[in-house]
Amino acid sequence: MNRRTFWWFTIPSVIVMLALMVFPLITTVWLGFQKLLLRDLNNPEWVGWDNYRDVLSDPEFWAALRFTLVFVVVTVPVSMVFGLAVALLLDRVGRGRAIYMAALLLPFIVTPVVGTLIYEDLFERGGLISWLWEVFTDDAFAVSASNVKVLIVVQYIWYVMPFAMITFFAGLQTLPEERVEAAALDGAGFWRNLWHVTLPHLRLLVVFVGLISVMDAYRVYDSVFVWTGNRFTEAHTLAVYNVRIATAFDIGRLGKGNAIAVLTVIGIFVVLIPFLWRSYRDQIAERT
Amino acid sequence: MQLSRPSIRPSRIALHAVMILLVVWSVTPFIWTAQTSIKFTRDVASKTPVLWGYETTANAYRNFWLDSDDLNMWGVLAFILVVAAVATALGLIGRRARHGWPWFLGATAVICVALWRFPRIWEANDEYDFLVNSVVVTILTMCISLSIGLLAGYGLARYTGISGAVILIVALGFRALPRTAFVLPYFFGAKEIDDWLTSTGVGSWNFPLIDFPGIDTLQILDTRLAIVLALVAVNQPFTIWMLRSFFIEVPKEMEEAAMMDGATRLQAFRKVIIPIMWPAIIATGLFTMLLAYNEYLFVRVLAPTEWTLPVAIVSLTGGESSRTITEAAAASVSITLPIVIVIILFQKHLVRGLGAGAVKG
Repeated sequence: MNRRTFWWFTIPSVIVMLALMVFPLITTVWLGFQKLLLRDLNNPEWVGWDNYRDVLSDPEFWAALRFTLVFVVVTVPVSMVFGLAVALLLDRVGRGRAIYMAALLLPFIVTPVVGTLIYEDLFERGGLISWLWEVFTDDAFAVSASNVKVLIVVQYIWYVMPFAMITFFAGLQTLPEERVEAAALDGAGFWRNLWHVTLPHLRLLVVFVGLISVMDAYRVYDSVFVWTGNRFTEAHTLAVYNVRIATAFDIGRLGKGNAIAVLTVIGIFVVLIPFLWRSYRDQIAERT
Repeated sequence: MQLSRPSIRPSRIALHAVMILLVVWSVTPFIWTAQTSIKFTRDVASKTPVLWGYETTANAYRNFWLDSDDLNMWGVLAFILVVAAVATALGLIGRRARHGWPWFLGATAVICVALWRFPRIWEANDEYDFLVNSVVVTILTMCISLSIGLLAGYGLARYTGISGAVILIVALGFRALPRTAFVLPYFFGAKEIDDWLTSTGVGSWNFPLIDFPGIDTLQILDTRLAIVLALVAVNQPFTIWMLRSFFIEVPKEMEEAAMMDGATRLQAFRKVIIPIMWPAIIATGLFTMLLAYNEYLFVRVLAPTEWTLPVAIVSLTGGESSRTITEAAAASVSITLPIVIVIILFQKHLVRGLGAGAVKG
């Protein structure tokens, strides 16, 4: 395909991305230097680095950053290992596999805010878990500032595990049988088989799922917002904190909100640049 | 992994036992909510949960969706079941037929007509408008996103120049960006455009050609258009990556043969490539559908009143609102069921899509 045809094919998509992703990003950076309030959007005022000073001296920002990092570090590995284990089990199921898969996929396809609402219901007064808790410990269970972070993490793993499971499962279907047979003939047990045959085969998928999971966990909004709302602001992640600052009714500070957004973007790119660079080299090497 | 499949019975039973435990972990909240939605409030409020033997009712559904308090819900259920049956039948014929798309179009038309007639047969609440918004936003996002994504995905799969690689990597970078980096400038930009439209008077012009019923002022903020544009944009990186990985699988010789016969590149693309791409289109379409149907943040910020269902449910049932737990449960079930049905129908495409997109990507 020559260059001209390529651009004719790609230009609608490129225009959309330029107009609605590149341009807004530039606007974000520009707005980050403005003093801009939600109730008075027409008078932006250049204040230089003030917003950034404001954010970096805000203890809530550091709390949000800390919780976001803990959230990523806990949910990503746990959901990946859990997902791989379930995929390996699912691969061994003969009859009824489709039914198991549909049931296991459910948390991932349901609307995240709704998934969180119904998960939360189990822990509310009169909910199943809160009742079981009371039966076993004689204490009333209530969602509180001290346990909401744990609940957020558990519910997110419940939500996101099917993604790792289904991707690894798809990868397992392409595992050539001869390699498994050869390993079995060599007398390899389950763990050696997993380590020397299965995992090397899934290597690219592990990187892929890991990257996507880190991106999604880092910017999580829906579920944390539903769990915390305005009740438990100390359990806010960066995205929730960011939107709260920017759009709080009557006191929304759009300028400061954009400064937080810029810092968030910088945060994810520090992690991602090596991967982006490697994918770029791969793409260049791949073209023939 | 055929060889390692256990052949003795006990380990097989253990396997199924573990699987059932996993299924319990996955679906308990759904079953609990579905139960709550058909209970009477007194059973829900009791201190020890009433797990079986309770009286069932559709009150919660009626209160959430309909205006009238004493309506027989069996009629509504029958209406929904008939529509679902007709649409499913058309869809199944479409999957068997050689040219499936007229049948799929027919199924979509049946659903649209049903949605349009529903509030004229029964008096529906405001919540019904949010359902319509959800459907419109989802369908529009899928159409626009796939149209431009297919073109770009094909171009990126076939072109070997350096600008292709740059576009792909920049798109991958955009995939990583948080929604918050976009939603604030979208809001600000839409506000600026609206202000300009109002101040110049363009917003209240009467355009004879685009005189949509029910729209008297032209604006961006608080319209379905704003949500669709935002969703198409943030979904573009994913769409082009996924479709590209499918196009790479298609051998170049296919369109080259057609082009030898005198077809242009675009004709070859339309007549030769697209017809064999349906599994890819369906898989990508499913993910786009999930994204659009499930979106919360964009709708909340960009559309203060033109909600879609996720925002409606959080705003109407969470926290301070006077809605009961049973109504919240009924709303949750109503929003979940359509998506579950679609996914179960197309489960194979979803799994294959993730496999292909991931292995190659």
